Amino acid sequence: MDALILFSHGSLLCGSGEALEAHAERLRQRGDFSRVEVGYLNYTEPSFAEAVARVAAAGATRVTVAPYFLVTGYFVTTSLPREIEKAQAAHPQLTFTVAEALGQDEALANALLESAAGARGPEAWRDGLKRAALRCRPDPRCPLYGTENCPKVPVAPAREEDEGVVAARA
Amino acid sequence: MPDALLVMVHGSPTAGANDAMFAVVDALKARPEVAARFPVVEVGFMECNDPPIPEAIDRCVAQGATRVVAVPYFLHTGTHVCDDLPTLLEEAQTRHPGVAFALGDYIGLSPRLTDLLAARAAAAAASP
Repeated sequence: MDALILFSHGSLLCGSGEALEAHAERLRQRGDFSRVEVGYLNYTEPSFAEAVARVAAAGATRVTVAPYFLVTGYFVTTSLPREIEKAQAAHPQLTFTVAEALGQDEALANALLESAAGARGPEAWRDGLKRAALRCRPDPRCPLYGTENCPKVPVAPAREEDEGVVAARA
Repeated sequence: MPDALLVMVHGSPTAGANDAMFAVVDALKARPEVAARFPVVEVGFMECNDPPIPEAIDRCVAQGATRVVAVPYFLHTGTHVCDDLPTLLEEAQTRHPGVAFALGDYIGLSPRLTDLLAARAAAAAASP
């Protein structure tokens, strides 16, 4: 059975996986691979190791790893082989193949042009923050944590000494 | 009055890291319909590389653009896409009150990239 793992870096920001998870869902719909998982190097779940465990449990024998990276940099040339080495040790029955990074392709040019065609004015420029907050997983390291955009952790009340600083600056 | 296309890129300290992006932008500029729609195309960087985004915007305006359409060349949303890039456009709006600014989705949201991932995966899976 052939499985596909989309490999990405991961992020502290809530909702940062929205694009990649949408790609994974569309790839599942296409059905080119009998199993499609996303695996992250840092911060975001599931980890690459967890993604491998999932496809192994589903009975995969061949695993194609497609890096969701614009270029073949450190994470693709160095981090990914390390992750695959560990995964290979844990699941010796699997055969791994690594695809090229996105790099250069007409698809990127088309994406750019279509994005430009749908460009909007200032009222929509921060819609991404609202979408990110909708996928909140409260984590003090998230840039939205405890801000007005974080739906689960209230904004911390200003402390008196903070107000004193503000007054001193004013 | 001409529209400018501004490609907003993260930037990288690694030599050659932007080569593929520049090749994509060059391929875009070579399309006649794009040249007609966007007589001005500039690339601007958040970090590490020149020109910085504010300078790229000023270049668009210096070439006569009255509308600047900005597209984040980013795969993921994050603080840059959600907050930093809008801030740069707001600052540019203050510098250039007569210019209209628009911001598109970051390219990672495009289903075109799903097709590209599928193609990359298929090529690897077909390799011996």
